[in-house]
Amino acid sequence: MRKHEVVVVGAGLAGQRAALAAIEAGREVAIVTKLHPLRSHSGAAQGGINAAVGADDSVDTHIYDTVKGSDYLGDQDAIEFFCKSAGPTVIEMEHFGTIFSRGADGSLARRAFGGAGFPRTIYAADRTGLALLQGLWERLGSERFTMYEEWELAKLVVRDGRVQGLIALDRRRGEFEGIAARSIVVATGPSGRVYGRTTNAHSCAGDGVSVAYEAGAFLKDMEFVQFHPTALLESSILITEGARGEGGILKNAAGERFMSKYAPHALELASRDVVSRSIVTEVREGRGFSGPYGGYVHLELMHLGKEKVESRLQEICDYSRLFAGIDPVTQPIPVYPAQHYMMGGVGTDIHGATNIAGLFAAGEAACVSVHGANRLGGNSLLDTLVFGKEAGIAAAEFAAKASTPELTAADVTEATAPYRAWSSRTDGEDPSALRKEMQQTMDRYAGIYRTESDLAEGLKRIRAVKKRFERVRVVDQSKVFNLNLTDAIETGEMIELAEVILVGAYARTESRGAHFRVDYPKRDDARWMKHTLAQMGPEGPTLSYSPVAFTRWEAKERVY
Amino acid sequence: MTANLTKAEFDVYRYDPTKDAKPRYQRYTLELAPHTPVLSALLQIRAEVDPSLSLRYSCRHAICGSCAMQINSKSRLACQTQIGPEMAKHGRIVIEPMRNQPVIRDLVVDQSPFWRQYDRIEPHLKLDPAHPMPVGQPTSMSPEEVERFKETPRCIACGACYSACPAVESDPEFPGPMALAKLYRFVVDPRDHAHQDRLLRIQPGGLWLCLRCHLCTESCPKDVRPSERIRDLKELAITAQGATEHGSRHAVGFKDNLPDAGVLNEMKLVRQTYGLVGTLGQLGQGIRIYRKKPEILRKPHPIQGVEEVRKIYRALDREEGKE
Repeated sequence: MRKHEVVVVGAGLAGQRAALAAIEAGREVAIVTKLHPLRSHSGAAQGGINAAVGADDSVDTHIYDTVKGSDYLGDQDAIEFFCKSAGPTVIEMEHFGTIFSRGADGSLARRAFGGAGFPRTIYAADRTGLALLQGLWERLGSERFTMYEEWELAKLVVRDGRVQGLIALDRRRGEFEGIAARSIVVATGPSGRVYGRTTNAHSCAGDGVSVAYEAGAFLKDMEFVQFHPTALLESSILITEGARGEGGILKNAAGERFMSKYAPHALELASRDVVSRSIVTEVREGRGFSGPYGGYVHLELMHLGKEKVESRLQEICDYSRLFAGIDPVTQPIPVYPAQHYMMGGVGTDIHGATNIAGLFAAGEAACVSVHGANRLGGNSLLDTLVFGKEAGIAAAEFAAKASTPELTAADVTEATAPYRAWSSRTDGEDPSALRKEMQQTMDRYAGIYRTESDLAEGLKRIRAVKKRFERVRVVDQSKVFNLNLTDAIETGEMIELAEVILVGAYARTESRGAHFRVDYPKRDDARWMKHTLAQMGPEGPTLSYSPVAFTRWEAKERVY
Repeated sequence: MTANLTKAEFDVYRYDPTKDAKPRYQRYTLELAPHTPVLSALLQIRAEVDPSLSLRYSCRHAICGSCAMQINSKSRLACQTQIGPEMAKHGRIVIEPMRNQPVIRDLVVDQSPFWRQYDRIEPHLKLDPAHPMPVGQPTSMSPEEVERFKETPRCIACGACYSACPAVESDPEFPGPMALAKLYRFVVDPRDHAHQDRLLRIQPGGLWLCLRCHLCTESCPKDVRPSERIRDLKELAITAQGATEHGSRHAVGFKDNLPDAGVLNEMKLVRQTYGLVGTLGQLGQGIRIYRKKPEILRKPHPIQGVEEVRKIYRALDREEGKE
């Protein structure tokens, strides 16, 4: 059986940063990842990374903006730590080799972003995630560690009150193997593919979140789902908030700059939940455009000039031209909100520790929580690096004191029994069809505007899909790169997460940040200033709640 | 953005080493909107027709680099290639795995040769202890210094260039366009302190094996233009280190001998490239060429427009400030 001291699952920014921290702490490290590190979804992040580095900006304003953006659900102790770490984190990434955009004086260039009182988003054109991913992989690549590339996490083994290791599928050989580990960091990134309309990559299936949940970890605040205001119509490809940061404006079919009604001061740069709701309201009330791919509004960049648009928003130009057939230099971009980010995830403390000894989590797969009910643009890249590093350090410390556990052949046999059943069926449910039904259900019933009856209907439907999944069938009998099998595994995992989102959203009878209940349109601090914790029970998730940490900022009404 | 559907025929390379003796092509026919990306079509085939079709994919907007493949014999990203123009030009869409890398299954290839070459160029900043990074602040870098990277930071390591490269095909030791473009990124990085060492080490069995066909630049989905960066690397190498390799001496010899007659003196070029002793080593090859082309031994007469050629050279020299 394979054995390691620290195993990191996922090789995006959070996973890589955790691995680097554990290596620097002197531990022996392995990375298990279903994608080559440079193919991680971190690379799709466009706009930038927040850090109050200028003499004219302050860490306190960054903290305040993040607290306010979170609609006061973010833990203020964690947010303080997070924002204080921002400057050193960005500087470190620059020293690792990241190529950032620069100001005329040679400093790191900054742009305005939504919900921020100051232009503090440091960027690399409109491919900041890719620049950071390259920089970090270049740095980590010169260290020694074991790589399980294109291995897919299937199960975490928890025994005697601590994590023992994991079971993963080597996609290339088609074999499930056990990997024993003293400590494990789950950094598997987003679960956006629970929805159909999402900016997320196809691989963003919430693998680690769901597997941790099944292993007994608490999932925190899963009902808080961020919908990015500007996704390209039809494909839902992300159009960065940086486009509005550079001066892009939103217009409805009447040519009105409608954000002046909803956020008279911040306009297009109000926080994402506010802008997304405004766009949906415009379309629902008949002021949007309509076409074969549904209603939409226009994002205009034409007034910024060809030079600025093509240099600072180079990828956006490509995406618009290639995937929507329009040129943003001369034409408006058709946009509509799409699922973009999960504020929720595996519940952790500041050091990535979960409720299971030896199990840590970081990045979008985790929920510390610093984003609370709504994440600010530019804070997710920062989250991956700050808390990836913390989780790596903590996992290394845990591993230094822990014994190496044992996994047995029986662990693998037991964990993989369901998969053998799926493959031996001669009749059963198609995982692709179930996935599509789950996605359509979530789009329709757990979107931007929610009601009790919609959520109840959504839950009923998801539970029906879950029931049908018990009879899922894998048709492809090949061992080698069997996507039919990995699709089925991921679909089963996502159905669990969909259920948690719906149950949490149904229970939370208030509106806060990205969770908007039409039937409870006000924030209700007296009853709901608390985190949702979901744990897997025999009949689905059971909910409990935990308090929000306050330090210096009192909850106020949020106005942009 | 109309939803008019058109018939699209896909001939997809299929190979499963656990059951197929040799590769085969499978025909799939779909009704699709002309702007549908090939990747969406392949995923629709997977979801609705044949879940056993295997491929790599993730982001679907040309940033993760997963879905490079041969589409109608060109190395492309499937997510970035629309079916309409392919059907219009070729009447069908032939989908095959990338070249120059062994096939694992269907459209999935083993990219380890590609990544080995990436590792070979030591893709990480090399620092000089005498010039440490500034403490507690970022390195200062002017926008002009950032410009020097050209488009190399856009590289998504998809491998399309590696698949398209005939130099890789003829010599697997050739680093390939991506690795060399990545090397260029370090050689112009003001934070890196191994520029000369990097240039020195990439020349034997590396840089000069490029055939200058520009297929990498043509196939690059992110406009990184690897062949132009290879050209830049050659120029930097010759400028800083002189013509030390057969490849660089060939380039310099080519340039130096052309103004003599306005056409190439091939015998002289062999001497310029290999030196006197080395030329003897090329004797066998020389005799083979002589049999087909005996005029090779004659010193070429200056062509009619030779003065024009020399004028161009003088103008270029002036531009480079050599006069």
